[in-house]
Amino acid sequence: MLLFYILFPLFVALGITIVSSKIRREFLGWIAFSVPVVLFALFARHIPTISSSEAIRTTFSWIPSYGIDLTFLLDGLSLIFVLLITGVGALVILYSIYYLSSKDSFAHFYTYLLLFMTAMLGVVLSDNIIVLYVFWEFTSISSFLLIAFWFHRKNSRNGAIKSLLITMSGGFTMLAGFLMLHVMTDSFSLRVILAELPQLTDHTLFYPAMALLLIGAFTKSAQFPFHIWLPDAMEAPTPVSAYLHSATMVKAGIYLIARFTPGFGGDVYWFWVITCVGLVTLFWGSFNAVRQNDLKALLAFSTISQLGLIMTLLGIGSAGINPAIGEAKGLYTFALFTALFHLVNHSTFKGSLFMVVGIVDHQVGTRDLRRLGGLMRFLPFTFLLAMIGSFAMAGLPFFNGFLSKEMFLTAVLSIGDLPIYGGAQVGWLLVLVAWLASVFTFVYSMILVFRTFTGRPIVDEEYKVPQEASLGMLIPPGILGVLAIGLFFFPNLLSDYLLKPAVEVLVEDGAALAPKIYAWHGFNTELFLTLGIITLGIVAYLLLRKWRPYYQYIPSNWTFNTLFRSTLSGYERLGERVTMRYMNGNLPSYFLYIFSFFIIVMWTTWWIVGPINVTFDSPSSMTVYEGLLAVVMAAAAIAILFAHSRLTAILLNGVLGFSIAIFFVFFRAPDLALTQLVIEAVTTILFLVCFNYLPEWKVEKLSITKKVRNGLIAIAGGLTVTIVGLAVNNYTKFESISSFYENSYELAGGRNIVNAILGDFRAFDTMLEGLVLFIAGIGVFTLIRMRQKKGAEPRENQ
Amino acid sequence: MESIIIVLVGILTSVAIYLLLSKNLIRIILGTAILSHAVHLLILTMGGLKSGTVPLLGENAERYIDALPQALILTAIVISFAVTAFILVLAYRVYQEYGTDRMDELRGSNDEQ
Amino acid sequence: MKLINLVVLPIIVPLFIGTVLLLFRKSLLAQRALGLFGAAATLVVSLFLLAKVAEDGIQVVTLGSWAAPYGISLVSDMLSILLVATASLLTLLVLWYSVYSLGEKRELSFFYPATLFMLTGINGAFTTGDIFNLFVFFEVFLMASYVLIALGGERIQLRESMKYIIVNVVAAALFVITIGYLYSITGTLNMADLAVKLGDIGSMGVISTVAIMFLVVFGIKAGIFPLYFWLPGSYYAPPLPVLALFGALLTKVGIYSITRVYTLIFTTDVAFTHDMLMMLAIATILFGSIGALAYMDVKKIIIYNIVIAVGVILFGVAAFNEVAVTGSVLYLIHDMLVKALLFLMIGVLIFITGKTNLREMGGLIRHYPVLGWTYLVAVFALAGIPPLSGFAGKILILQGGLEGGFVWQSIVVALSTMVVLLSAIRIFIYAFWGAEKSFNSPPKAKYVNRMIPVVILFVITMGYGVFIEFLMPLFQATGTQLMDSSLYIDAVLGGEK
Repeated sequence: MLLFYILFPLFVALGITIVSSKIRREFLGWIAFSVPVVLFALFARHIPTISSSEAIRTTFSWIPSYGIDLTFLLDGLSLIFVLLITGVGALVILYSIYYLSSKDSFAHFYTYLLLFMTAMLGVVLSDNIIVLYVFWEFTSISSFLLIAFWFHRKNSRNGAIKSLLITMSGGFTMLAGFLMLHVMTDSFSLRVILAELPQLTDHTLFYPAMALLLIGAFTKSAQFPFHIWLPDAMEAPTPVSAYLHSATMVKAGIYLIARFTPGFGGDVYWFWVITCVGLVTLFWGSFNAVRQNDLKALLAFSTISQLGLIMTLLGIGSAGINPAIGEAKGLYTFALFTALFHLVNHSTFKGSLFMVVGIVDHQVGTRDLRRLGGLMRFLPFTFLLAMIGSFAMAGLPFFNGFLSKEMFLTAVLSIGDLPIYGGAQVGWLLVLVAWLASVFTFVYSMILVFRTFTGRPIVDEEYKVPQEASLGMLIPPGILGVLAIGLFFFPNLLSDYLLKPAVEVLVEDGAALAPKIYAWHGFNTELFLTLGIITLGIVAYLLLRKWRPYYQYIPSNWTFNTLFRSTLSGYERLGERVTMRYMNGNLPSYFLYIFSFFIIVMWTTWWIVGPINVTFDSPSSMTVYEGLLAVVMAAAAIAILFAHSRLTAILLNGVLGFSIAIFFVFFRAPDLALTQLVIEAVTTILFLVCFNYLPEWKVEKLSITKKVRNGLIAIAGGLTVTIVGLAVNNYTKFESISSFYENSYELAGGRNIVNAILGDFRAFDTMLEGLVLFIAGIGVFTLIRMRQKKGAEPRENQ
Repeated sequence: MESIIIVLVGILTSVAIYLLLSKNLIRIILGTAILSHAVHLLILTMGGLKSGTVPLLGENAERYIDALPQALILTAIVISFAVTAFILVLAYRVYQEYGTDRMDELRGSNDEQ
Repeated sequence: MKLINLVVLPIIVPLFIGTVLLLFRKSLLAQRALGLFGAAATLVVSLFLLAKVAEDGIQVVTLGSWAAPYGISLVSDMLSILLVATASLLTLLVLWYSVYSLGEKRELSFFYPATLFMLTGINGAFTTGDIFNLFVFFEVFLMASYVLIALGGERIQLRESMKYIIVNVVAAALFVITIGYLYSITGTLNMADLAVKLGDIGSMGVISTVAIMFLVVFGIKAGIFPLYFWLPGSYYAPPLPVLALFGALLTKVGIYSITRVYTLIFTTDVAFTHDMLMMLAIATILFGSIGALAYMDVKKIIIYNIVIAVGVILFGVAAFNEVAVTGSVLYLIHDMLVKALLFLMIGVLIFITGKTNLREMGGLIRHYPVLGWTYLVAVFALAGIPPLSGFAGKILILQGGLEGGFVWQSIVVALSTMVVLLSAIRIFIYAFWGAEKSFNSPPKAKYVNRMIPVVILFVITMGYGVFIEFLMPLFQATGTQLMDSSLYIDAVLGGEK
């Protein structure tokens, strides 16, 4: 059943691709819209079951041989995500029907979007980590396709490839981490792994697996310093940004970390890495959001910042898993609870804000803050929605953001009371960072509303009076806005049905430890911090013109963006330079590499495995003639190097060949000697004929160093061959199989053993040798014939 | 005797390698020819030299020399002949097309079609 | 034992039909029909053999009925027959593609017979159980490849084939020298017998030395670092179908040979020999990765990807445990399929645009959506994105690597995927997306013709990924056979030793 839920969007996507040419475009949108609506209803049906802490499971086998099967599991944690995916998905698709222009390809858009939906549902429902990884990569791919939806724009392509590179590298590292988990636990099932992990903290792969997993999660959820892909991903159509790059896909990393909290949580590194990365991201995102002029860029950095916030909460909350935490467990379960609560809240207000910005862009034609202003009059409903979203984001009362922000501050303050990990020493610093980030958050939230909707627009000849957006574009953010307010007044409804079952998955007794949400806590530290944020925020917003220009003094080439870009282009340039240098197309250079490598690798072998045993003992004696012949051959060979004409060289080569024939006679190989004589004669003639057409042999002009280098390599190469030869020659432990052939007369009816071998025992070799000769004949024939044919036509055709 | 032949093989190999490292196509081809000589000598040696009589039955010897390497060499000789013939014709065609036998002029640039 | 055994057929069938083809030298129809028939027949017999090996275990035939180790044994174990079947399949599809793309003049220059002879050599090299016979089969397919690389005789082809041949001649000489050494030590040529005898000797300096020499010899063929210098230039020159065959099949023979000798024969000093292989595999991945991003030429990009894959496969072999080796074989077959597929797709791309430089292409997706999207999916398969074809192999390789304790090396392998992906997806982004540039816009019918074999191969490749479970028993058997060399040895020597 779950598999059907997951594949449903995919099937519809395929259907859309098939029928796209036959249906009206808008209709495609409505078909797509029906998918998340149906799924939302189907999943919502399970809320009562899940809230009683039960899970729904389905299994299909895929590669059972390696324990990879399609097991899907719907529990409290997954349920929050699937409802977000389908709920926000439905609103986004509805919105997009009115947002896309007539020039855009609806079929592609909805195919990608539904593909993404399948992938994302798969990520949060898979129990098998390999299957989870499969869907994980599919979210990256569909995101890649959607960012490059307007692929004729260079920025879109660059943004797409950048996000693909970063998220997929993260995916591959995560896969390596998953495989380590498999090596540790011998299982691909999440439940099994999570159950066994706490007992495996001493395993050598424990920390490598954790690190790789975290990299995967951080890249996906745009955590510092991997956040750089998210702003560039804003090249995607705005509904995509609202959906993938704010509400769902970027939360996959959050999901992963939440999911693994029962396994890794309780470990000190897990706690600090996630908490610190989260806090840094929170601060860096909000700090940079303030300086943006593009509304979508502002929202991108704001998303980064908010993801950091959720991450921080997950980090803090992980302390609750540690058994040493004792009494304070409730406090840290509180942090996990808050993380999930803010996750939902963020999806509501950020989704609506993206849609608002989309409306502005759609109706006004720009989203540059420097050109915008005074839209309140023309887009009153949009203004209202923008206010709701921004105030929720800023953490003002009467909006859901207020609740989760307060709870976040409580959680950060609790680090100071942490009985383990030495949290007490640095707790105040973390609070300061979180507080500062909140001030920036407040400021950019105000910028978003008031710089866009109040003040005066820049009126020039391009300016046309904008009109309020159509109802179809207003309803989706409207629904989210209503949710943002509704959740402030009735948070415990959400808590009881969704959040508590989810926390129960993360921590034992989580549901019991989870707090009841109150808007009013009395006059406590959190309230004063919030008042401080609002006061300082208002002051900072009013004085914006005074301090915002200082941003330009931050060196622009000291960012991770530049690092990423220069690494990539540096890598390409390095590749080009290195490759062009060694791949020079020059055959002698190739031999230089090959022989040098041969020599180095052989001598290294001897160096490592110990020298091999070389002696000059020979089983057989030597006659004077043989000795003389050997000297002649050596002399002839060396003389070739000094030959002045090619004729001399060829004849010297002939001398070598004929000497070998004589050796064959000495060494009791008459058949060989005969063959060698014939072949040598033919070869020499061939050489002579062929060289007749080639230019005269010139004395090589090589520098002395090169000559010495070549000479050394040549000598070392010969020496290597000799050494191994001497070593093996003295190592004869086994009787050769040849003794068998001495029965050749009885076996094969031949008296000549060599012939018997060639013609019978190893006849296959002989046949193939004939084939080689035969193919060579064909080759020679075509080469020559080609020449003759070409002779007629002009030869220069380069 | 074996040691001497192995040293001789080493010398031939050195000469062949030196030729292979030169720029000139003719020298390189000669290098391959010499290398194959070295190889054939080596195989024969690997079976042991003069350790018995000519491998013709009926010689009434106590033991015959290892015949297998001889069979292998015969195969190898024919193959290397085939290859050498092909190389020579190809060299002739290359020279005709390019008008040079210098390998450094036959590199080809990286961007060419 | 029958004289004509099933094991012999994948070698004999293309040889026979290739020879027959020489009789119809002038008839284009006969060349095409018989050429395709030859490849198809080879495929059919190899599938029969595959079924037999899967059912009855390792098949051995000793030619001329001389018992091993005296005669030449042909041995079909799972690794061998899987490669034979894949090679035959790819040859068939590439020949089909060639019918539409190669041009009559080249087709009549012995293209079909030479290809079938090459298949003979390749199948033989995969099957033979005799080390010297392996050399002879090497020469058979090399000789055929010399003819193919010079096919048509363009200037660049002549020049590059010259280099290609000479490098291979030197490699062959080294090969024979190494066989000589091995013979001197053991007095035998049969691989199973070699395994037994070297096993008796145990770990020894000389044997490790010879093992490393084999690595150099096969490394030149396989294209491992730093021996692959000849590869990009030589592969660049011939016509595309030939390039597809070379890219998909030739380096794989080298990989196969390394796998064979390093799992069967040289297993006594694993700590040294396989560590060396591991180092070289990682270096190959790194340098291949550097090269793949250095070019904007579509052919060069995919050619460098061959090198990266070589490293990945050998990484699994070097890790030397059952999981990793199984992964390597899975990945090896995947790589053959997907490389052939990519080369053919690149061929269509070059046919459409008339260019090979990416900077001169753009905006093709609107006109050629099928090519574009299948290419993109093929790229994801190449990168091992699940559930496509590269994925199962890569996972097992990594898992095996981790089990063997090669942690950072495994991470390098995982990250090399990024380079593969980036380099190949650039082709998609430049050629299919991007601003529209002028192209040939050839007749639609010609495009469709070429796409038929491409799409068939595409479907097969994707099926190899998604439905891998159905093949998994075969690969598990392969892993078992490779890691337990006694299975091979007993099959060949009859278990008496």
